[in-house]
Amino acid sequence: MREISTAALTGILTCLLLVPARAEVARPVVNDKKAPEGRHDLEAIQKHLVGALPASRKATVCIDLGEGSGSGVVISPDGLILTAAHVTGGVGKEFTVIFEDGKKVKAESLGLVADTDAAMARITEEGSWPYVEVDRGDTSKLGDWVFSLGHSGGFDKERGVNVRLGRLVQVKEDTVQSDCSLIGGDSGGPLFDLTGKLIGIHSRVGLRTPENLHVPVREFLKNWDGMLKSEFIGEGPFAKKPEKGKGFLGLGTTARAEGGLKVDKVGRESPAEKAGLKEGDVILKMDGVELTTKEQFQELLKEKAPDDRVALELLRGGKTETLTLRLGER
Amino acid sequence: MNAKFFILAVLLLASGVPLSAAQTLETTYRTNGPAVQAAFESVRGVLQTSSAVIKRGRDEIIYGTVISADGHILTKASELGETEGLTVTVGDKIYAEPVKLAEDIAWDVALLKIDARDLVPVSLALDLDDPARGSWVVANGATSRTRRRPQVGIISATAREIAPAGGPVLGVTLEEKSKKLVVTEIHEKSGAKSAGMKTGDRIIAAAGEAVSDREALGKVIEKMRVGDDLDLTVMRKGKKIELKVRLAGRADLFGEELTRNDSMSGDFSERRSGFARILQHDVIGNASTMGGPLLDLDGRCLGMNIARATRCETFAIPAADLKSLADRMISQAP
Repeated sequence: MREISTAALTGILTCLLLVPARAEVARPVVNDKKAPEGRHDLEAIQKHLVGALPASRKATVCIDLGEGSGSGVVISPDGLILTAAHVTGGVGKEFTVIFEDGKKVKAESLGLVADTDAAMARITEEGSWPYVEVDRGDTSKLGDWVFSLGHSGGFDKERGVNVRLGRLVQVKEDTVQSDCSLIGGDSGGPLFDLTGKLIGIHSRVGLRTPENLHVPVREFLKNWDGMLKSEFIGEGPFAKKPEKGKGFLGLGTTARAEGGLKVDKVGRESPAEKAGLKEGDVILKMDGVELTTKEQFQELLKEKAPDDRVALELLRGGKTETLTLRLGER
Repeated sequence: MNAKFFILAVLLLASGVPLSAAQTLETTYRTNGPAVQAAFESVRGVLQTSSAVIKRGRDEIIYGTVISADGHILTKASELGETEGLTVTVGDKIYAEPVKLAEDIAWDVALLKIDARDLVPVSLALDLDDPARGSWVVANGATSRTRRRPQVGIISATAREIAPAGGPVLGVTLEEKSKKLVVTEIHEKSGAKSAGMKTGDRIIAAAGEAVSDREALGKVIEKMRVGDDLDLTVMRKGKKIELKVRLAGRADLFGEELTRNDSMSGDFSERRSGFARILQHDVIGNASTMGGPLLDLDGRCLGMNIARATRCETFAIPAADLKSLADRMISQAP
């Protein structure tokens, strides 16, 4: 009797040990069939898809760039977004993201990988955002059933997020192809497996409708830390590196005998004006370097590219303060 | 406005050279490959009995949906053209000389009658809510002389109205001079023309609000819909005249401005907007694969395909709307 109960207890313990700390959603069986074998398998696909849609739709955003739009997906409660490099177009760009319910929030781009079209962005407003889980185990395989979401052709509140179903039809190291039809406005939007885990980001289309290419999550995982640190990784073709010397501030200054540069002119609509610089301000330092001549200031700026941040220490009304601003493009 | 919606178009090399380190799924196992479509065989049976192939000579011009045993068929009116010389195939039978009994411009639907008995009409899903996003749907794909083939997809978006493209317009050219808004040209097909507007008229009020520039008038119009009547007050030769102008759709008067998304959408339907309510799905098709039924896994008819809108969007008239439209058209038919 006693022996039996010990055995039973051991059995229970073994079971407990085998259950992972966090319940993993099992890989849908239908993925391992070459084709659905009938009604039962079709219903399984539909059930997974319908079940995964509410959460994945909530986290799929329209990236509104003013003169155009793409899509993106939130992957953490504090608002980290994955999208495409050709959508953000660079590091440190500011834009608006729109959730399916119409809520608009401010965001900025972090790093990107210019040669594979991966990019990261972050919501800059305080809040807790709906998000999806990334398939960090990179578990998707050729032939898996997948679905793509996106704000095709721009945000449309009545329509909502547009969903398309397909299979992974080609898998390469840095791209995957599905037969979920994509169109303009979908770029940067998410590709999910049937359990609702993010497996890719929409990048580009071929001429034929079933040709749709995505950046696989492994490409993001490989470059994760660099993108988080706002690095511009790779050489193109999906984003163009800002050129040094093309940074634009929009100020006219004259040197003061006692050091620093006095602001005589602030260009209209310039980055300087937007940051709040005013005539009469005195710039004492740029990025910690004391300024003595106009030429020296220009040399320092020449080392900067559009979208770079510079910190200016100002003397204003007898007090010093520091303004951080982002350069525009000359 | 020329907004950019991001997606890059690339040429994929379809060559005999194996792509390095690429795994590729055989065509038959792709979403609309034969092996996958085989799982929809029972639904295909409904396409076989209850969809129609409308041909001119050897060309398939559009599909149709069988709605009565004695030969009533609904189809997309704007793709149909003249009925003379058309044939209609249902199952493997070919019917010559269909008669067009009625046409509904708003829905872009025509009612045809063929000389048939014992057809199997579609079973309209009238007792169901709108199908959920992600539900399987089946529509007409390629066809042979005797065999209908399915094309499969899912419901993609929320059922809704598709406003006429381009939004509402008066259909006049205006000149704005020192706070005077004067009509200089009037489009022949516009509501302004039929309301009796004349060049030289000066618009002073719209919908009861005083207007003296384009912006103010535009603000009044943008709140309205195509087909609405706008009350205008104009000054003509010193007299105040009241006009009621029916607003037209911009695309109807001036044609549609094609976008980059259109250029990647292949052969889409010319008439693809101005529907009171549609279901949206992702079944791949083209302008001539519309008109057939949209079926669920049970073979019930969720609606009728009415427009291939873009590369990833196809619209269908929902079953309930199709039912009332069909009843009305049949009862009014001669």
